[in-house]
Amino acid sequence: MFLANGRAGVIDLSSGEVGEQELDEELLLGRQSSLEVVEKLASEHGQDSLVLGTGVLTGSLVPGACAGVMRGPRGRAPLLGHAGVELKLSGFDFIVIKGVAPEPGYVWIRDGMIELVSAPSLKGMDSWGRTDKVRDQQGDRKIQVLSVGPWGDACSPIAQFVTDYWGGEDKAGLGAEFGRKNIVAVAFRGMGEFEVSDPDAHFDSCVRLRDKQVAKLGRGDGLASFSRAAAREDFRALVHRDAACFGCPFPCRSFVKVNEDPWVMTLSSKEPGYLHYDILALEKAHSLWISAKDATQLMVKCAKAGVEPCSLMSSGHREGFDGLLASPKDIKPSSEDSSGLSWWSAISDRRKNEACLGLGLCPRYWAKAGFELGPLDPCVQSALGRGLRTDW
Amino acid sequence: MHLLRQVHDGHLGQHSLNSWEWETLRLDFEPLKCIACGLCETVCSLRRDSVLTPMTSSIILHVEDKANYFGLVLKTRSEGVVMARPEGVTSGQQPAGSGGPGAKPILLREQCDLCGGDPRCVRICPTKCIKAVD
Repeated sequence: MFLANGRAGVIDLSSGEVGEQELDEELLLGRQSSLEVVEKLASEHGQDSLVLGTGVLTGSLVPGACAGVMRGPRGRAPLLGHAGVELKLSGFDFIVIKGVAPEPGYVWIRDGMIELVSAPSLKGMDSWGRTDKVRDQQGDRKIQVLSVGPWGDACSPIAQFVTDYWGGEDKAGLGAEFGRKNIVAVAFRGMGEFEVSDPDAHFDSCVRLRDKQVAKLGRGDGLASFSRAAAREDFRALVHRDAACFGCPFPCRSFVKVNEDPWVMTLSSKEPGYLHYDILALEKAHSLWISAKDATQLMVKCAKAGVEPCSLMSSGHREGFDGLLASPKDIKPSSEDSSGLSWWSAISDRRKNEACLGLGLCPRYWAKAGFELGPLDPCVQSALGRGLRTDW
Repeated sequence: MHLLRQVHDGHLGQHSLNSWEWETLRLDFEPLKCIACGLCETVCSLRRDSVLTPMTSSIILHVEDKANYFGLVLKTRSEGVVMARPEGVTSGQQPAGSGGPGAKPILLREQCDLCGGDPRCVRICPTKCIKAVD
């Protein structure tokens, strides 16, 4: 099976049982998108399950093939950065997490193995501390850690999981599901490999497609290519470097330094700033006349606490954000869209958004590049040895 | 000479070189152009093993993500380990800890063979942070 492991890992936190479920090739390779498969798995294992998944093209050389997805009872969120690829390389195409852990812990996935690691010592820590601790315990800085902070522990409706250290994907309150399951993180490391149908053709077709897209898009300007708030002078003055998700030629992540000079390129401060890619949060801060520096500091606090910043800023609470962040509260989410998609790529075509994510492609990049199946076909054929269904 | 010039321009395409033609090739880095997309370490295995995986690559994306500090580490035949850090490029013996603690350190990896004169990492790098030079 090309570009796939052919199986889902299932862990029941309540009983400690771990199992595998073979996934039919037709299910994975083009018949159904990952969004359909996560719903299918949730209906099999319980609607309160957390289901993580990857698309057929996740981890391929197709530009922007970074995406995975997490689905919970209240919505779903894309898994971006290097998380989607690492998840697929961990040996599973999908992960089902059901039940409730008897004591705080984290789900650890690698090498085709999945386990619940009991970690009561992580109780009370913020998300950054938990990511550090998981990586230290498992001895690898490249482990991808989806973690929550105290707001997730308290099951606040506006809790969000953060990916490694950065928030932005979870607008559906999935962080609260971590709290309900008594887990503080889901961590994975990809040490596997994928075969593709025709390696040389896949390489050449993907480079050709990428070159065409780059010629059209230009070099890009980090998050400023997507957000007016990030194009502001006070934001640009603090930008250190732009970073991309896996396989993306057009980075939309801008790291802003607030604790040291942004021009410092050496490894000096351990926590110099924040990696911005949450357009909605940045635009919200801008609309409230919050400076780029203050917005960045607020994002750090929100990420550590595991709070969705737009909802926090929209809450109307008068005690100030610091006071508000001090203890988790039952705040209503600001977004009514729990699909975790239309807000994210800032394009209105929901069908294309979902098609991209279902394939494992970044909706934000492909909104910029222009998502059409035709130009993708040589890349897909050379990867999978077959085409995609045509009704995406 | 024509082929080598094509390498300089990063447009080697489908051509392959005889060994005498690429023995003097090496990879050069502009680390600040790197955007940490990870494609270089993923395609390294494609020619050697016909699979996509970062685990057998000769080049590693080194990331300290909380500090947004990232660069590349390459195991070469002639220069030892090349460290393309944001603050500059160095080569020689591997310093302790380089390549980051992880599943497979650079010391356990194969040396870069320049893909027989047509380095895949050069062609896949979207920012031309990696170049083949003679």
